[in-house]
Amino acid sequence: MALRDRDMTIGDALDRNHVSRRAFAKFCMAAASAMALPPMVGKAMAEQLRVARRPSVIYLSFQECTGCLESLTRSFTPSIEGLIFDVVSLDYNDTLMAASGAAAEEARATAIKENYGKYLVIVDGSVPMGDGGIYSCAGGRSAVDVLRETAKGAAAIVCVGTCSSFGGIPYADPNPTGALPVSDIIGNRPIINISGCPPIPEVITGTLLQYAARGTLPDLDAQRRPTAFFGNSIHDRCYRRPFYDQGKFAKSFDDEGARNGWCLYELGCKGPTTYNACATVKWNGGTSFPIESGHGCIGCSEPGFWDKGSLYAPLSAARWGKAGEATSMESLELVAGGAIVGAAVGAGAALLGRHRQNQLIGGNEPAAGVARAPGAGPEVTHRQEK
Amino acid sequence: MSEVANIGVPTQLGAAPAADSQGLGAGVAAVAYEIAHLLERLVAHGECGAIDLRSLPMTIADRLRLQEFLGSGEVRAEISADGPSVVRETAIPGVWWSEHRNAHAELIAEVIEVCPVPEILVLSKEELATGSSSLRERIATLRAAHES
Repeated sequence: MALRDRDMTIGDALDRNHVSRRAFAKFCMAAASAMALPPMVGKAMAEQLRVARRPSVIYLSFQECTGCLESLTRSFTPSIEGLIFDVVSLDYNDTLMAASGAAAEEARATAIKENYGKYLVIVDGSVPMGDGGIYSCAGGRSAVDVLRETAKGAAAIVCVGTCSSFGGIPYADPNPTGALPVSDIIGNRPIINISGCPPIPEVITGTLLQYAARGTLPDLDAQRRPTAFFGNSIHDRCYRRPFYDQGKFAKSFDDEGARNGWCLYELGCKGPTTYNACATVKWNGGTSFPIESGHGCIGCSEPGFWDKGSLYAPLSAARWGKAGEATSMESLELVAGGAIVGAAVGAGAALLGRHRQNQLIGGNEPAAGVARAPGAGPEVTHRQEK
Repeated sequence: MSEVANIGVPTQLGAAPAADSQGLGAGVAAVAYEIAHLLERLVAHGECGAIDLRSLPMTIADRLRLQEFLGSGEVRAEISADGPSVVRETAIPGVWWSEHRNAHAELIAEVIEVCPVPEILVLSKEELATGSSSLRERIATLRAAHES
């Protein structure tokens, strides 16, 4: 008797799709690498995943540009990652699903009813709260109503992209729609933030894989991001880091330093204060990442990145935090560090990075927590819901 | 390499950090020491180990130096499983350099494995059982075709 889709384990689905154990082992090895886990963990992950049941996923899109979904689908198309996406039971996504209108909303209601307490909700985009939430409506209902209804029975909410995680560009000044991140609206469900504009597709996949394999939420940092991917700064893992330590900086985008691949710190690179996996997982199938293409990191996975001044001003000159507001201690230390050229700068930033990581290791908080860990990145005060 | 070097944007091919007196950059020497440690543990306790090269901030020049330092051994295995993989023995017995690519030939994992035989080459009991039943089915099909 054929298994119903929702009763299948991932192993059943892989066998159905004729995916060999070696191919699956390769995928898990790559996923372990992306999660900065020891390579030997890939084998254990493959064994756990084969017997795991496919989690139901409801994907909600609100005030966003669809770049996050584009990123996700670019990773998954016909490779084995596509099959993994297939074996996660995607029960609702208004962009990808064939159904539309009332039939689509019925699919969401059915998924909620049949998997109550066990399904994952992925949210893409911030939630406009201004004027009763009228700036993002579908089927006659506002985004905030749909979010609240769907979140009730969720095992966890995964915020994909900086908009749902921290508000992103809709939340930037002057925020005409009253946009808020999901964490400012839903306070009683575990929330995982996978920030980035867009987020790295393999980071989304890896987080879902980890949930599917272990059935538990990953360890999170103070911003509720998986430490496996967000535990290191871009700067810590950057291949140009040795030049930073040697005090070798590009001064313009076409000078000798730029041609020699020296550090882009003085051209505004936000790598030292940005936590993400771009330098290790990279983009476009591991081809490269912005710094490798000659442009500094713009810090898109950090809260409030759009309101922090010029993307091309060095960190020492950038306004981390808004003008006139008190600057966090970490920012002050970075400002001080930025004034010193050369190896001393590198050593200071390295110490700061280690300091923060140590605090994260010792100070991880549960997914539902909201307090910042001491020494975490610059605090962004979210606008409160009206 | 010369054509890439002429492009007016920085690439990983830029000058690598200074090499030490033995010709190894600091990052390469650190990896070499870690391999030595893993190999000693394999010999003493039979425990396999691995180093994820993609997680290390190495320049292409550093990587080439490391490849040159480890040399080439006698075994090279090619695997075709949702994309090509190459498992290469280095000149150091027990030290393997594995590259795994996806269906688009994009590099998805690059690992130095320290073990008698890399895990991906070894078959599980389930796979052997599947192979046994598959062979029986083929023989039965062949016999049926011959008898008809």
